[in-house]
This record gives sequence, C-alpha cells and structure tokens, in this order.
Amino acid sequence: MTTNDKRELSTFDIDSGLFRRGISRRCVLKGAATAGLSAAASPVFAPYVQAARVIKLGYVSPQTGPLAPFAESDNFIIGNFKEAIKSGLKIGNQTYPVEVVTKDSQSNPNRAAQVAKDLIVTDKIDLMLVASTPETTNPVSTQCEIEEVPCISTVAPWQPWFIGRQANPRGGPPAWKDFNYTYHFFWGLEDVISVFTNMWSQLATNKSVGGLFPNDGDGNAWGDKQFGFPPVLDKLGYKLTDPGRYQNLTDIFFAQINAFKEAKCEVITGVMIPPDFTTFWKQAMQQGFRPKIASLGKAILFPVALETLGKNGNNLSSEVWWSPNHPFKSSLTGMSARALADAYTQATKKQWTQPIGFVHALFEVAIDVLKRAPTLGDAKATVEAIKATNLNTVVGPIKWGQENLPPFARKNVAKTPLVGGQWRIKDGNKYDIVITDNKTAPAIPVGGGMQAIG
Amino acid sequence: MSVHIRFLEWCANLCRRSVLGGDVIGPSHDHVDASLSHGSGVGTALSKFRVETATRTSRIVLVAGSILIFVLVLLPAFAGRTLVQEMIFVFYMLGLAQCWNLLAGYTGLVSVGQQAFVGMGAYLLFFMISTSDIDPLIAIVAAGLLAGALALPTALVVFRLRGAYFAIGTWVMSEVYRLVWAQVKSLGGGTGMSLATSTTFQIFGIEWIKSLFGVKTSIARDIIIYWVALVLCLGAVMLIYTVLRSRYGLALAAIRDSERAAESIGVDIFKMKLWVYMVTAIGTGMIGALIYLHKARISPDAAFSVLDWTANVIFIVVIGGIGTIEGPLVGVIVFYVMQTYLAGFGTWYLILLGTLAIAVMLFAPQGIWGYFSNRYGLELFPLRRILRANHRDR
Repeated sequence: MTTNDKRELSTFDIDSGLFRRGISRRCVLKGAATAGLSAAASPVFAPYVQAARVIKLGYVSPQTGPLAPFAESDNFIIGNFKEAIKSGLKIGNQTYPVEVVTKDSQSNPNRAAQVAKDLIVTDKIDLMLVASTPETTNPVSTQCEIEEVPCISTVAPWQPWFIGRQANPRGGPPAWKDFNYTYHFFWGLEDVISVFTNMWSQLATNKSVGGLFPNDGDGNAWGDKQFGFPPVLDKLGYKLTDPGRYQNLTDIFFAQINAFKEAKCEVITGVMIPPDFTTFWKQAMQQGFRPKIASLGKAILFPVALETLGKNGNNLSSEVWWSPNHPFKSSLTGMSARALADAYTQATKKQWTQPIGFVHALFEVAIDVLKRAPTLGDAKATVEAIKATNLNTVVGPIKWGQENLPPFARKNVAKTPLVGGQWRIKDGNKYDIVITDNKTAPAIPVGGGMQAIG
Repeated sequence: MSVHIRFLEWCANLCRRSVLGGDVIGPSHDHVDASLSHGSGVGTALSKFRVETATRTSRIVLVAGSILIFVLVLLPAFAGRTLVQEMIFVFYMLGLAQCWNLLAGYTGLVSVGQQAFVGMGAYLLFFMISTSDIDPLIAIVAAGLLAGALALPTALVVFRLRGAYFAIGTWVMSEVYRLVWAQVKSLGGGTGMSLATSTTFQIFGIEWIKSLFGVKTSIARDIIIYWVALVLCLGAVMLIYTVLRSRYGLALAAIRDSERAAESIGVDIFKMKLWVYMVTAIGTGMIGALIYLHKARISPDAAFSVLDWTANVIFIVVIGGIGTIEGPLVGVIVFYVMQTYLAGFGTWYLILLGTLAIAVMLFAPQGIWGYFSNRYGLELFPLRRILRANHRDR
C-alpha cells in the first residue's frame, strides 16, 4: 500500500509539473502584487479632504427585490425633499447644507445591516432614516443601537419592530428592554385589529373568521395568542379558524381553504405577502370558496396586486395608513396629502401608494429634529430632540411617549392614525381604494360604506 | 515497475531541459531526496533527482505574504474604521469561499447548501449567548464544532445523491434546517431576534482594546471581530494548503479527476468526502457564527440565505478560479470591488454579476486566476512536486 501510494504520487507530480514553466512569471507577479496591495491599501493613504460641515442623513429602503413597491416613490420624495431644503438648514446662527445618502437593502436583511454599517462608518451620517417592513427596519435599527447613532424608522407595525428586536422575544414586558437610540412611528396590531373588526361589524356575517398568518415577522405577531388577533376576536364574539403558520411563498393553500370551508368562514383575514395572497385568492375562487369579507394586511397595499386578480379583486379590504383624503399637511412643503399624491402622479404617471406619505413624513421628522438639536453631531442631543418631537406631518401628528401605547413601548414608539378601506374597480381594470371605516380616526373622512364581496 | 522508472527518467530529462540552465539549486529547497527509491533497488538511478515543491515565485510570495499578514494584524492601529469594516467583509467572504472551494473544487462535492452551516453556526451562537454567559469567542468555536457534528447526519442523507442531485439535495437540507430554526420561538421564530447591545459588548479583551486604542466600545468590538475574521480566513487558507500538500490532497485530486479510478487504486472515497464535508462545515459554521455576532441580528431568511452565503460564494470561487487556492483570493477582490462601486445600480448590478459569471464560465472556465496561471505558469501556493536533477551528485 505504501509503495503503491508513492508510485501514484510520483507520476502524478511529474505529470503536472511538466508544462509549468514561465519566464515572465516574476514580472506578472510583481504587477499583481502591486495592484493587489494598492487596491487594499488605498483608503489608508487617501488624503483626507476637509470640507465644510454637511448634515448627512442616511436612508435605507428596499429599492430592488420583492419589497421594491414600498420604495417606488423614494426618488420622487427625496427629490422633493432636496428641493425644499436646497438653501440648507439653519441651526443656531449657522446654515448647513443637507445631504441624503440613500442605500438599497435589496429586500435582504443581511444587505440592510451591511449598508447601515457603511452609512455609519464610512459616510458618518448624523441621523439614520429607514423605512418599509421589519426585514429592513430591524437590522438597520439594531446596527444603530450598537453604534449609538440616532435612528428613526417607519412603515412596519410597531410590535414586530419592538418585540422582534428583543433578545428574549418570548419573555414579555419585564424582560423586554427599551432602546436608547432607535425610534419608530407607525401604527400597531391593536389598531389594525380594531379597524378590521369595525369594518366587519358593518355587514351581517356568521362571525366565523379564517386567519392566514405566515411564519414571518408580521405573521407571528398577528397570530400571537397573547398579543395578536386571537384574544381580541375571542372577546368580540368571533370564532377564529387558524390553520397554523405557513411558510411564505407557499404554492398550495388547499389545506387552509378546506379548513375555512369546513368552519363556514364568511370573513378572511391575515397578513400575507402579495404573491401568496394572489395564489390563495385564485385557489379559493377555483374551489368555490367566496367569503363575504376579506381583510388583508400587507398583501393588497398596492393597486398592482389587485390588477393581477382581474375582477376578483373588487371589494377586498385593507388597512389604510395614508391616502390623499387624509386631512393633513406637510410641515416641510406645506403641501396637503392630496397635493402630494397629485404631484407624484404628475411626476411619475403612476397611481399614488400609501408609502408616499410616510416616507415624506420621515424626512419631515428628520428636519424637525435636526432643527431642534442644539449641537450638530451630538447623538445624545439628537435623541433628546427626537423624544421631544411634536409635529403635525402629512400622515398626522407625531409625538413619542404617548398614552395610547403600553408603558414598555411608549419611549420608542409613536402612533399614527389608521383607518380601513375597500378596493373598488373603476373604469375597466383599474382599482381605487375607498375609505369605508373611520371609527378609529374620525378626522379622516369616509368615502362610502362596506360592501360584501359579490 | 521498470517501465515506471523509465518514465520517471524521461520526465526528469524533460524537466531538466526546461528548467532555465538546468541549475535550480539552493539550500532552502524542499527536497525529498531519493525517497522514491525506497525498497525498490533502483536507488542509484533515482538519487540523481530530487522532488521540489517550492518555486522562486512561491518563496517571494511567502515573504510578501508574511509581511502582508503582519500588516493586516496591525491594521486596526493605523487604518480608519471604514477599511477595518470592509476587510471584515472581505475576510469572511474569502473564508466561506475557501471552504466551498475545498468542497467543490477539490472533492467535487458541488454543494449549493452551504448556507445550512452558516445559519446553523449563527443560530447555535445566538442560542448559546442568549441562554448562558458564555464568551462569544468561545461560542464561535463551539458553534462551528456543533455545526460540523450536524454535518454528519446531513452527509448521510445527501451523499446518497450525485452531481446535480447532490446539489439540489444540499439545498433541500438547508431549507429543512431553515424551517426547523424558524419554529424555535425562543429565538424569535420566523421573526428573528437581535442581541442586546450589552451582550454584544461582552467579548473577551474588549476593555483591553478600548484602552489600548482609546476607542468606544462598538469600535473595540469591531476590532476584535476583525481579528477573529482574519484568523478564520487565514485558517481556512492554511487548512486547505496543508490538506492539499498531504497525501489526502492527492487522494482528493484523484477523486476530483476520476472517482472510479481513485477508488480502484484504493482511495476510500466515502471517508475522504465525509471528512472534507465535515471539516468545511466546521469552518463555514464558525464563519457564520462570526458574521451574525457582527450583525447582532438574526432571522431564518437572512441566516439561511442561499443568495448571500452560497450564490455569492460560488461567484467568488468561479470568477477567481475553482480548484486553486489563489482563485478565491482574486475572486473576492473582484466581488468586493464590484459590490462597492456598482451595488448602487440596483437590479443592473445583479444582472452584471450574472453576466460576468457566465462570460467567465464560457471563455475562461478556469477562472481569472486559472487563465493567468495557465498562461504564465504562476503558482503562489505550489501544490505540485517537481522532479529536478541533482547536479551536485554528478
């Protein structure tokens, strides 16, 4: 065996050694080494350019990938924002130019954490802004908390943002810690639960509800037996059929549909990603399951999701966090919600979407905070300014530390009003959302009553 | 036997002619004098030759490499945070790439499921440091070893498959692990969890680094992570080099070139493959644990991301040159430069990555390094043994 091995070894070596002769290898190596070294070392020796102090805002959003519809209006909003502050921001006696550094999370939490770190370390931003889904807000907020950089986030219900970032997510309030540098404004589960149940109470049903909750940030929070839909529905006399957490991008929903049929569900609710809802709804129609009401979070925020359903999308209902009918004005440009939506449609030839208002409001809050922060570049002072925020924005009033939240979340979360609406077909295949319930925020006008799915 | 010796002599002659002037000598040469003649009775014929592995290039590389490593170790002392930050990324991607390279490039185990071990290492680390006071650095090692242990049952399943089926099998296994971890409610289930800031700061030596460099805690933490990343990355490179220089390396090369032929001459294929699979799982698991200690937040979709931890890694290895140690070094530089300068172009960046990978596969299937290495006979980490004539013996 040993000799055998050696023989094998020798033929092998000689064979491969034969053709390996190069005269010029040294010069090639030299070139490669120099190139490699200089590439690796250039940032070290790069001259440090002392420029005038610029206020830097970092902004992370999912510009590409499956979550891209959330960031569709980013360019428009940021363009608007730059126009509004082109003469700089006056703090004390000094006027500073403001720069926005945007980064794409590619709808990927790993990438989101990485670009957040880049913004903090390389761009040395003064304030981090981040929007759209826990998959984007949570990794960015976590990095900011570690790096002690103030961060304002939005467009994610507060529970997945707050509880989903705890070291002990099952621990409950005493074990849950609040955060020192990261602040969030949006609505919470309790709001969407009241909005949905208010909408359902407008129509006569058998009070049998089918729930579709995936195993992701939102789904786990919505379906939670302690803090989610189940306890509230129970109290209001609804019977919930929850076939359990399914994985996102499921192909077949027959098990769920059969369970709902068996329980004679007339109401469907849940928080699904758009492609899953499309699959579910098409299969439900095929199987002859047609509930009276279908109120879905996240799945049908954008008109394009309805258009893929053809006529079957009519009267599907959803939470409405912002619409052109919201009676609010931008503190930055003075534009009303309607004017902002119209400007967007004019600039992009696209229908308005809900994130427009919130991304705009994010920049409103940022400027308001920076104006009130006494010293530029002092993270603690900036945080104090965030805490003291009391601003009327295009999505409504934003103020942290309010009573409408449980005590453990009060410090870091501010709530904005939430209402409910139904998608209605208008001229052919186009959909428009009509606000059908405003009991949770009477200031926002309704456009009609609830209609059962035909 | 005698035919064999004739062949050796013929080769040696060829070698001698092709070596410049035929006098490559020097005391530092690695030589295995006459070891081939053992018990064969033809010692006189063979003692004219010796087997070398080091080349002039490789000796220069050894010196330059040592200096480079020295500089890299001291980097946090003089470089800005940005560079340290970027190097952490480069190191862990390179470490993952070298592990995959050993697996696919040398053993022929083309796995697209290595994210299983990244995720496993990461989740085990989170589990350990959130339930006990274990130091994260020890947890990294422990997580890696446990991930390696879990590679055993995984291997028993996927090794029943071959080629494309093996690739799909590994991916399926990694999805299985993702779904399993997504059910662990105490680690956040599908939502994921973040480490408490105070926990992420409890690393061995952090106070010492803080006072040594005079920096705040989060920077000291990054410096420690930088060093660990450097150690893991160098460890992966050295591991591959040592393995390939050993007799196991020859067995691996034989398996790669023809499994059947290797088996026929007595290589225990199953054992070799299993061994490599488990060792790369340990390496991948430790790197995965480090990555998520750095990110301080985990979710199943992120930790078991096929795109980040396998597709990008395959890109690095394929672009650079599969089956070479130098390849991933080149590949990671290309990947890093592209990501730094082009990621801002969104979808176009991904299209460009794909196009480049296809172009390299079509026109330079050996990768960038393979192309140059074939053309100019470059070898930074020589694995071949070259038979040379012993002039002094004459």
